Amino acid sequence: MNKTWSWLAVPLLVVSVAGCGGKKRPPVVAVDPTTTTTSDRGTPSQAPLPVETGPDVQPIDSDVARGEDFTVSDPETGEGGPIEDIHFEYDQATLTDQARAILDRHSAWLKAHPTAKVMVEGHCDERGTVEYNLALGDRRARAARDYLASVGVSGEMLRTTSYGKERPLDTASTEAAWARNRRAHFTVSR
Amino acid sequence: MAATLAAGVLAASHGAAQLPPPETTVTTMVFDPGASQRFAIPDCVPRRADEKSREACRTVTQVLRADLRFEGLFRFVPDELMAAIKTLDPERPDFTDWRGIGTSHLVVTQAQVNGKDLQVDAKVYFPETGQTMLSRRFSGSADNPRSFAHQVADEITALTQYRGVARTKIAFVSDRDEGARGRRSKELYVMDYDGFNPRRVTVNRSLNILPAWSPDGRGLAYVSYRQGQPDIFVASIFEGRSANLTNGRGQSFAPSWSPDGKRVAYSSNRGGNMDIWVASADGSGGRRLTDSPGLDTAPIWSPTGQEIAFTSDRGGTPQIYVMDSEGLNVRRLTTVGNWNDAPSWNPSKQYSEIAYTSRIEGGFEIAVVDLASRQVRQVTLGRGSCEYPSWAPSGRHLVFACGRGRTWQVAVADRLGQSVRMLTGGSGKNEQPDWGP
Repeated sequence: MNKTWSWLAVPLLVVSVAGCGGKKRPPVVAVDPTTTTTSDRGTPSQAPLPVETGPDVQPIDSDVARGEDFTVSDPETGEGGPIEDIHFEYDQATLTDQARAILDRHSAWLKAHPTAKVMVEGHCDERGTVEYNLALGDRRARAARDYLASVGVSGEMLRTTSYGKERPLDTASTEAAWARNRRAHFTVSR
Repeated sequence: MAATLAAGVLAASHGAAQLPPPETTVTTMVFDPGASQRFAIPDCVPRRADEKSREACRTVTQVLRADLRFEGLFRFVPDELMAAIKTLDPERPDFTDWRGIGTSHLVVTQAQVNGKDLQVDAKVYFPETGQTMLSRRFSGSADNPRSFAHQVADEITALTQYRGVARTKIAFVSDRDEGARGRRSKELYVMDYDGFNPRRVTVNRSLNILPAWSPDGRGLAYVSYRQGQPDIFVASIFEGRSANLTNGRGQSFAPSWSPDGKRVAYSSNRGGNMDIWVASADGSGGRRLTDSPGLDTAPIWSPTGQEIAFTSDRGGTPQIYVMDSEGLNVRRLTTVGNWNDAPSWNPSKQYSEIAYTSRIEGGFEIAVVDLASRQVRQVTLGRGSCEYPSWAPSGRHLVFACGRGRTWQVAVADRLGQSVRMLTGGSGKNEQPDWGP
C-alpha cells in the first residue's frame, strides 16, 4: 500500500512543482490598449478593459520588528528603567573609568533601541549649596550625554536636565546615601 | 536725643488737662546712639469692654513691641519701671509719671472690634513737651490684627531716618505638602517677616525653587520643573497667574530682578555651558553676559543696577565674582575658602557689603564681605549647615536657611549675626528664602 501511494505521489508533486513557477504574484490584468481597436466593420467589438498603469507590485507591511520592545522608567517617579545610573566623585563631573564602561554598555543598548527617548538627569549630594549644585548637576548630565554622542549615539535620543540636590534618590545623611545621589540618571520613555 | 519739632509746638504744663487735638505731625527723630532715648509701649487699651476687643489689644501690644525690638534701633523703658505706672488714660496721659521713669517717647494704642471690623488708634507722645508726634487711626477687617500692629510699627520707625520691615514678607520653598509617593515636590510659600501667616503660592506638585521678589513686591520669579525642564516663571501673586519667561530654551535657574524691575538676570545652559544671561522682565531679548568655560550661576544685581555679582568656578572652585551689568570688567571678590556661592547684595545705601554662603571647616556658613575693605565676617556659627542668605530691604537683617539632613528651617539674624531666630518649624525642608521689598 505504501509503495503504491509513494509511487503515485511523485509524479503529482513533479507536476505541481513544475506548474507553480515559484513566487506567488498578485493577480494583474495587463491589457495592451492597442488591442482594443475597432473592427473592420467600424464599431468596437467589445467594451474596453480597465487599464492599470501603476507598478506591478505593491508593498505589504513588514512584520519584522525593528528592535525588541523595552521597559521604560516609572512614569510617576522617573526612577528605574532599563539603563543604570553612573556615579561621580564628590564635587566632580568627570567620568570615571567605571562610568565610561557603563556608558559603553548603554550606547549598545541605545543603538539597539533607536525609538527610545532618554532624559539624562544630573544629580548631586546634599553637601553642596543649592545654586552651584544645580550647575554641577547640569555639567554631569552633559558629560554623560557628550560621551554617549562621542561613541555614536544619536543626539536626537538624548536630552539633559539637572536637579542639583533638589531631588535626591536617598535622603539619608550617610556616605552611602551621598554616593548614590552623585549620579547621572537615565529616564527612558517611548 | 534730639527732636526736630514741627511748627506749632505745644507746651504741656504740669498736669494740664488741655491736650492738643490729634494731628498728623511728621517729625524727624534723629537717632544718636549715645543719647538716651527710651520708648515706653504700655498695654493697648480696649475702647470696648468685650473679649474680642481685649484680645485684639493683646495682639497689637505684643506684636508692636516685638516689631520695634526687632528693628534694633530703639531702647525701651525696663518692664519693672513700666509696672510702676498703674493706670493710663489713653486720651490724656499723665506725662509727669512717664517722664519720671525716663520715657522719651510714649506709644499709646487703643483697639475696638465692631462686628467684623477692627479699629486701632496709635499715638506717639513726647512727654518732655507733651507734643503728639504721631496720631493714626487704622480701620479694616478684624481677621488679622497683627497687620495693624505691623503698620503702626513701620509708621513709628518712619519717624526716624530708617526704614522699617514690619510689613515685609519672606518667600521660601517648602516640601511640607509633598505626597508620600511619587516625585519629590517643593512649593513656594510667602510668610510675614516674623514667620506668621505662611501662605502657599504654587500648587502644581512639581519642583518649585529659587524664589525672587520683584522690586514692586507684586511678582515672584522662580524656577519650576512643572513643564518637565527647569524654566523661569513669574507669578503675579495677587492675581494667581504665572508666566513662563524662558520656555524651554535650555535649562534656566537662579532668577534675579534688576532694581528698576525691568530686567531679570539668570543662569542658563542655552549657550552650551551654564552662563549668566539677562532678559527683559517679560522674558524677551535674552542675551548672554558671561562666556567662560566654567560654570556661572547665582546672579544678583547691585542696589544701583550697575553691577552684577555671581558665582563662578572659572578659577577652579566656586567663588563670588562681580561684573558690570553688560558683562564686562569681571573681577573676583572672594579670596578666602574653597567654596563660596549665593551672593546677596546689601540693598541699603548705608552699607557696601555682600552676604554669601561659604564653606568653613567642612560645613557651610553665612559670611559677609565688605566691598571696600574686603574684610570677611562670619554671621552664623555652626548650626549644622546654613546657606542662601537674603538681605532685608533695610539692610540691617538677613534671612537664610539652616539645617541637617531632611530638616531645614528658615532663620533670621541681624547683620552681625546676633539675635538668631527660627521662622519656620516642624519637620521637612524649609529653605531658599528671599526677603521681599
